[in-house]
Amino acid sequence: MVNQVTALPCKPATALVQVTEAGEPWLRGYRCGACAAVVAEPTLCCRACGSRAAPVDVRLSTHGKLFTWAVVHRSFPGVAVPFVSAIVDLDDGLTLKGTLRGAAPDTLHAGLLVEAVFDDAGGAIDSDGAAYVGFHFEPRAGEPA
Amino acid sequence: MSDVYVVGADLIKFGRYPDHTPAQLGAQAALLALDDAGLTVHDLDVVYASSTYNAASMIGQQVLKQIGQTGVPCVNVSNACASGATAFREALIGIKSGMYDVALALGVEKNPKGLLGPPPGTGPSPEGLFGSGTTPAMFAEAGMVHSAAYGTTIEQFAQVAVKNHHHATMNPKAMYQIETPLDVVLASEMIAWPLTKLMCSANVDGAAATILVSDRKAREMGLSRAVRVRGSALASDPYQPRNPALLDADSVTRLAVAKAYDMAGLGPDDLDLVELHDCFATAEILHYENLGLCGEGMAGALIDSGETALGGRIPVNVSGGLLSKGHPIGATGIANIVEVVMHLRGEAGARQVERARIGLAHVLGFSAIAGVCGVHILEKA
Repeated sequence: MVNQVTALPCKPATALVQVTEAGEPWLRGYRCGACAAVVAEPTLCCRACGSRAAPVDVRLSTHGKLFTWAVVHRSFPGVAVPFVSAIVDLDDGLTLKGTLRGAAPDTLHAGLLVEAVFDDAGGAIDSDGAAYVGFHFEPRAGEPA
Repeated sequence: MSDVYVVGADLIKFGRYPDHTPAQLGAQAALLALDDAGLTVHDLDVVYASSTYNAASMIGQQVLKQIGQTGVPCVNVSNACASGATAFREALIGIKSGMYDVALALGVEKNPKGLLGPPPGTGPSPEGLFGSGTTPAMFAEAGMVHSAAYGTTIEQFAQVAVKNHHHATMNPKAMYQIETPLDVVLASEMIAWPLTKLMCSANVDGAAATILVSDRKAREMGLSRAVRVRGSALASDPYQPRNPALLDADSVTRLAVAKAYDMAGLGPDDLDLVELHDCFATAEILHYENLGLCGEGMAGALIDSGETALGGRIPVNVSGGLLSKGHPIGATGIANIVEVVMHLRGEAGARQVERARIGLAHVLGFSAIAGVCGVHILEKA
């Protein structure tokens, strides 16, 4: 799967995902100009250093490394299990949680090279019939599946 | 400032109480603690009432409606799983300030049933699409960090559950009093690898209460069964780059326990028992190191050694812990203190830690976005 969505327009399934006018999805974070900390959500001041200059939005790398994970066998009713709940350190400093697909759970190890791949958020549609765009993680090419 | 003493401490049996309101459960615990202290509701100067899910409905005043509307101030506290420790600490501060002589610090909860997780937002449910927000998954992910760094095994995590379920067989107020050997723990339903169902805390209702008094009042009452509060700390999760994507049980606990040890002038080698927040088996392993009970990376070896079992060097969760005694969220932080008090008085029955003089109670609270830790150190007066 490539990082593009052809059916337009799409609504972000999470605030991390933004979609350009051309329909290209991207991951948005916020970087502090004073201490360079990167966070997922906008704040009034920097929550790392307290700088009064609010962190500004940045386009995040979709590449990262697996830090830790859980193989989830019991979830909320209606959620398909098992799945891998992965915590990934993106290359530019933000750590994200996402579902890791395309890798056998018993082959996972810290440091596995992964990328965020945009998807249709499980086929979810809103009450007006509009599609959503989300993301999941997959091992990067060359990593054993 | 003068010392503060615990002179009354008790809890109701943890379980499911479909026919009781939270206030009724809290009132039962309050009366038990008052009776334990030899006091009545008319002796109370103030009430600090903890309930994660019921604090907004004035749980303290509702309890007083059950046991006597004396008109004293009630402070209602909600602070996730650290709500009880927060209420206890506020009672301590109130007495230390000189404003009050006798305080009731109470915790009560009727837990929501099932798997706990974040509240619903807008858009499709994130569960399964963006990993898992369930609490077992969060503590599985944190446990796997320890596993990756130090080779900690699922058997070592499971041994925490074996130990705490064994301890609970000696606690008549525990939800479960059933020996649960390793093969049973490992064979129970897998919830989030490496956590099986018996490695997750028991979701129950409950209530616990303590009576705190000033130095003057304690001497008037007599110190024979009194327990002195030596250390108290509350910390909020400090900035960590991976938080909140990764639950960080470590930095907030280390921040709080360092302050508590400092206030007490004590360290981990001085402790005779610990009640720590074993909401999941992985958490107990992490907290062995966070509380300084062993060196970095040595927690797996510590559980293997048996030193944290009753009779060992530093017994941990002899009450049965959250895993087996149960985890009524807003009551847990008071119940942990009640357990330590029982041992320091030498009144813990079959599970008594011999010659216990100093004990530590720890709770850790988390939502999807924030964390809190409370630590108290108590000493036989």
